[in-house]
Amino acid sequence: MSALLTQDEADLRDAATRAVEIAARRGASARASAHHEGIARIAVRHGEVETAERSGTQVLGLTVFHQGRRGVASTASFDPAAIERLVDEAMMIAQHVQPDPDGGLPPAHSLAYTGISPLLYAESPRDPDTLLTAAMLADRIASEVAGADPRLRVGESVAVATEGLWALATSDGFCRSIRRSNDGRWSVMLAQDGGGSTSAFCQSQERSVDALALPEQLVRTAADRARAALGARAIASRRCPVLFAPRTAMSLVSDLAGALTGIAQFRGMTFLRAPLGQRVAASHLNLTEDPFEPLGLASGPFDSEGIAGSARPILRDGVVEGLFLSSVSGRKLGMASTGNADGFYNLRLTSSAPGGDWPAMLRMLGTGLVVTEFQGGKTDPASGNWTQAIKGLWVEGGEVVHPVTDVTLAGQMPAMLNGIRAVGDDVERQGALRTGSILIDEMQVGGKA
Amino acid sequence: MNGGALALVRARTVLLGPAGHDEAAIGRALGELAGGGADLADLYFETTAMRSWRLEGGRVTQGGFSMRQGVGARAAHGGQVSFAHSADMREGALLDTVRAVRTLARHGDAGRYGQGIALTRTPAGHHLYPAIETVAVEDAAAWIALLTRIDELARMQDGRIVQVDANVRATDTTILVAEADGLLAGDVRPMTILSLVVIAEQDGRRARGQAGLGRRTGLGGFDAASVDRMVAAAANMALNNLDAIPAPVGQMPVVLGPGYPGVLFHEAVGHGLEGDHHRKHLSAFDGKVGERIAAPGVTVIDDGGLSGRLGSLGIDDEGTPPDRTVLVEDGVLTGLMQDRLNAGLMNARSTGNGRRQSYAHLPMPRMTNTFLANGTADPADIIASIDRGIYATEFDGGQVDIVTGRFNFTTIEAWLVEKGRLVAPVRGATLIGVGHEALRHISMIGNDLAFDTGMATCGKQGQSLHVSVGQPTLRIDRMMVGGQAG
Repeated sequence: MSALLTQDEADLRDAATRAVEIAARRGASARASAHHEGIARIAVRHGEVETAERSGTQVLGLTVFHQGRRGVASTASFDPAAIERLVDEAMMIAQHVQPDPDGGLPPAHSLAYTGISPLLYAESPRDPDTLLTAAMLADRIASEVAGADPRLRVGESVAVATEGLWALATSDGFCRSIRRSNDGRWSVMLAQDGGGSTSAFCQSQERSVDALALPEQLVRTAADRARAALGARAIASRRCPVLFAPRTAMSLVSDLAGALTGIAQFRGMTFLRAPLGQRVAASHLNLTEDPFEPLGLASGPFDSEGIAGSARPILRDGVVEGLFLSSVSGRKLGMASTGNADGFYNLRLTSSAPGGDWPAMLRMLGTGLVVTEFQGGKTDPASGNWTQAIKGLWVEGGEVVHPVTDVTLAGQMPAMLNGIRAVGDDVERQGALRTGSILIDEMQVGGKA
Repeated sequence: MNGGALALVRARTVLLGPAGHDEAAIGRALGELAGGGADLADLYFETTAMRSWRLEGGRVTQGGFSMRQGVGARAAHGGQVSFAHSADMREGALLDTVRAVRTLARHGDAGRYGQGIALTRTPAGHHLYPAIETVAVEDAAAWIALLTRIDELARMQDGRIVQVDANVRATDTTILVAEADGLLAGDVRPMTILSLVVIAEQDGRRARGQAGLGRRTGLGGFDAASVDRMVAAAANMALNNLDAIPAPVGQMPVVLGPGYPGVLFHEAVGHGLEGDHHRKHLSAFDGKVGERIAAPGVTVIDDGGLSGRLGSLGIDDEGTPPDRTVLVEDGVLTGLMQDRLNAGLMNARSTGNGRRQSYAHLPMPRMTNTFLANGTADPADIIASIDRGIYATEFDGGQVDIVTGRFNFTTIEAWLVEKGRLVAPVRGATLIGVGHEALRHISMIGNDLAFDTGMATCGKQGQSLHVSVGQPTLRIDRMMVGGQAG
């Protein structure tokens, strides 16, 4: 038994199965998901613990289908009376909801009763002492780094550990559970000069402590980012090439993937209508999905309907080959589920066009804007209108001239995807997404008149 | 009537009864929690039930129900906070949770370990919202009838309204706070939120409109006139946006309409005046109390005791009744918002701003209802004063960087103004600026103070809360506007 969890996988399978069985006795088909998660988190600054937290959460979610109607309810209590109430509420809701011919459980033959279960859990020390030691070490390094540069101040250093369990049961006899782990470390650094203050952070998140970035690297990266943003200023409005650093490039991949989800497709809330077989991005781009990467942050053996995903191309040479479908969105579009009821698994963007490391990407940019951080904005999924306030760097002849702030960047997602000239070799991973920096031919910068 | 002794009776019934213990057990747990010389120790019990319905295209497509309960235990030694929580509130689990806090705090076994604390102090009652339940099972038909009426009303507004998505969410929360200084406080917090998204279509163009209405009330609290206004607002936004042109780019004067645009003061002023950011010297306003930070005439207030506002609380989540805190008075920075922890460390007193998302989250200084006070200008004169600029009436949220003070907002309803007249609706304008600079460029303040309709939420360090924001119409002489026009 782990240090963070108070229940085991069998407890969760029992709770989920119990809810499904009670619903089945009342004539409904059903599926139930039981989640349990334990988290420990320690934040340190200036050698002192700021917060030390332990949390334990659990939730049992039930979906019933009765005469074509669906009811959904959830409870944080797994005791028998709470599970009875859960079923009562879900059945009551199903009485009032209109029937949906596309609803219902997926066909039993499509369920992953057996099959590959990617490694999602790593044995690692996750007790508060381990976290305290890790956070204190990062804090000490932060003090040393700040001591060497009068412009720097120490922000918090955080170590967090999570272990989780998930069990899924359906009235088609499906009952599987998984165990997951997650370790995170991050450091915040502040920089200050006569022109003002900035703060920056750097984080590492993995399923195993061994895979985490070293604290030295997190602190130095946060310090470099904070310093690099000092003295930032606006630039004049213009159209110019734009290089998205990997951390910001990920949001473009995420917007692209979001437009290819079943729910966006059947609701028409997508800037890529009927995209299968269409070229929607530059022809050197490939996007692949892999649900089974060992210790992948978005890996999983099945989705919340019990259907497995597959390792597959989503975009090949800029042409859409796959969508992200649940059984419901699949039925609405006349297709089978792709096992993506919970969104996409691990995605990787690659390019067959020449890329390069970060300096090479700057040279390829030539004269233009680098985007290092989004300050807020949005993508309109229906129109593809994309607007963000950004922080970044102004580059001339491949060399950084000065940091930039207080400007907006705007474009149309379809044009931006087609305007991608290169993807860097400077690949970073965040959650489900992996990409290098992305160079786009031309975008609209809104700055000083 | 709510809070006070009345809320304690309810809290005993729904929280302590099912957990099988009483106030003496809480006192014993608090004694252990506070042992080892904690400067502050509290237990926060919560139960929340939530029900929702969704009507799309005139059909009930979704319903939802959830329930959760639990207890959070906190102890602070100086600025060091230890916290644990549990969904199990029975005495054994409660003591386990308390011991987890003591282990995290590493303050050994010295002190009052094991001695119970007498809970003798209860705050007075309040009348801000009723101690009612909104999540009753038998109400389903009535909720659905209200959504059906909203759907029909929306379609009647204009033939170009082609899609209507109407939602309602009702929440019942009952809390009980016990503190090592002997305080025992309860509160019953009903909340109901209606929301509406409509799509208008014309000549192949589509545009979105949205509106909502949130109140600390049940179904009976929504009068027909308010619902009508909500529907009309969503429909008008979608219809206006059908004809929207790309937003202009560059620095220009901006007029912000009354109500939700007051989120500017929430982001650009409020967050920078939360006590924790000052204690850690992280705020762009650090050390500026008593200094002029805004143009004369700018008065910004946080008031958790306003009737009918979703940011209002009879007591905060630490049992403190809400203050009316003047943050900026006539342009001068005058006040900070505090919770117990930060007030204690800064030699100040709590202003009733200690709030938390749930029992599983730590309290922090958070805003309640934050607004710019009325000025004297006629709103029409403010628009008429613009040669070329933007008039923005609705935003899709906003963000601020506490350290730099930089904020940004994206409009969902805005117009291009030329020669004092609204020329055309614009889409997707992003307004960006730095809090203290924008404040100095406020040149006209209207006399039409209004609040948001109950849809404002605030995120801080991963915790989301309902707040209220407000302002009269105002003019900012210079602001960066980003959009898609070249």
